[in-house]
Amino acid sequence: MSLRSIFEEHPERRYIMFGGKGGLGKTTFSAATAYWLASQGNKVLVFSVDPQASLSDIFQKDIFGKGPVKIMENIWAQEIDADQHIKQYQGEIRQKILDMYGFEAVPDEIEQYIQAASAEPAMEESAIFDAVVDIVVEGNYDYYIYDLVPLGHALYYLSMAKVYDEWINKITKLREEMREYEEMVARMKRQKETEEDQILTELQYIRGRINASSRILTDKVKTAFFFVIVPEEMILIDTEKAAELFAKFDVPISGYVVNRVVPRELLEQNIPSYLRNRIDMQAKYLQQIDGTFGNQVASLVPELERDVTGLPMIEKLARIMYG
Amino acid sequence: MSPEEEKKSFFQNLKEVIYGMAQHDMSRYALRTRASMEHLFILITMGDMIGIPILPPYYSLRLLPYVVPQISTWKRRLLREKDVSDAMF
Repeated sequence: MSLRSIFEEHPERRYIMFGGKGGLGKTTFSAATAYWLASQGNKVLVFSVDPQASLSDIFQKDIFGKGPVKIMENIWAQEIDADQHIKQYQGEIRQKILDMYGFEAVPDEIEQYIQAASAEPAMEESAIFDAVVDIVVEGNYDYYIYDLVPLGHALYYLSMAKVYDEWINKITKLREEMREYEEMVARMKRQKETEEDQILTELQYIRGRINASSRILTDKVKTAFFFVIVPEEMILIDTEKAAELFAKFDVPISGYVVNRVVPRELLEQNIPSYLRNRIDMQAKYLQQIDGTFGNQVASLVPELERDVTGLPMIEKLARIMYG
Repeated sequence: MSPEEEKKSFFQNLKEVIYGMAQHDMSRYALRTRASMEHLFILITMGDMIGIPILPPYYSLRLLPYVVPQISTWKRRLLREKDVSDAMF
């Protein structure tokens, strides 16, 4: 099984994600995959929600918070600025309050709440995933490559989505009960129809958004999730644990990509024992990887002679990964 | 007053008396329950305002505009001290 064959056999998989511990090469592989898909004539958006995103670095272009920026033919890249998104959202809420009640200014108490709310840590995560829903729902691209935040965050979000969904269900039920009381009173007083409950409509909208964002991560048909690993013990242990958790949340894992494999051919040359030891160590863990993940290993990517930044290096890597 | 009108207003009065006897209390009670639920709802969604975070703030902000008028009575009700008269009214 190669990466290329996965894409060729499953053209319906349009949301591509590389996940894994920090610093293993998620962004690098996202860029290389975008490059290859684009060279096959697909329109690709590669985007990141990480506040410390590195797409700007790899494409050597400042794109943070600038919306989709064209990198080359068929490739657009976007880094979502969560703060900016939150500020804009707060502005919309304020405007709505002013419009609804004809206030000159938002009441103090309410303003304080709006500001306090955005200081909460969950605010940023929700804002980010909400922004992702916007991007994906628009559907302007053939492929969406999602340069994920490190594992913990993604898991946190998935579990959050589950809890929120249940919460919203409960709140909606309460709201519906309230509605029944309202109608009962209206009947007794022989009033005409009661007004539509806008809060109920809003709640249904919120539930739709939360489900949409967790569906992007868990869509069995359209999503391909790849774990990035390197042949080292700690990484393997963590990844196995994470893979179990991801499976629990129904994330469809399409395969594993092993990064930073020191080429074995080097052994034939006169190399220092330092490098020889590393190659031996990797051989041991590669065997372990083969035993654990077997044919789920989609690609072995060698350690390159320099870091991957800029289009020529991305192209080189794409050629290695996709042949 | 013509006999028809007399008859009508008699029925009108009777209707109101019956409403008062049978249903007024019920509807008052229903309205009170409805108000309690409203406050419970605001507590669940805007709990952060009094230090109880429950719904993620990103989404509770969406609901905020609709509950603006109720916020101050809600806070008063939640934060007031209870006394005997609460049980009576």
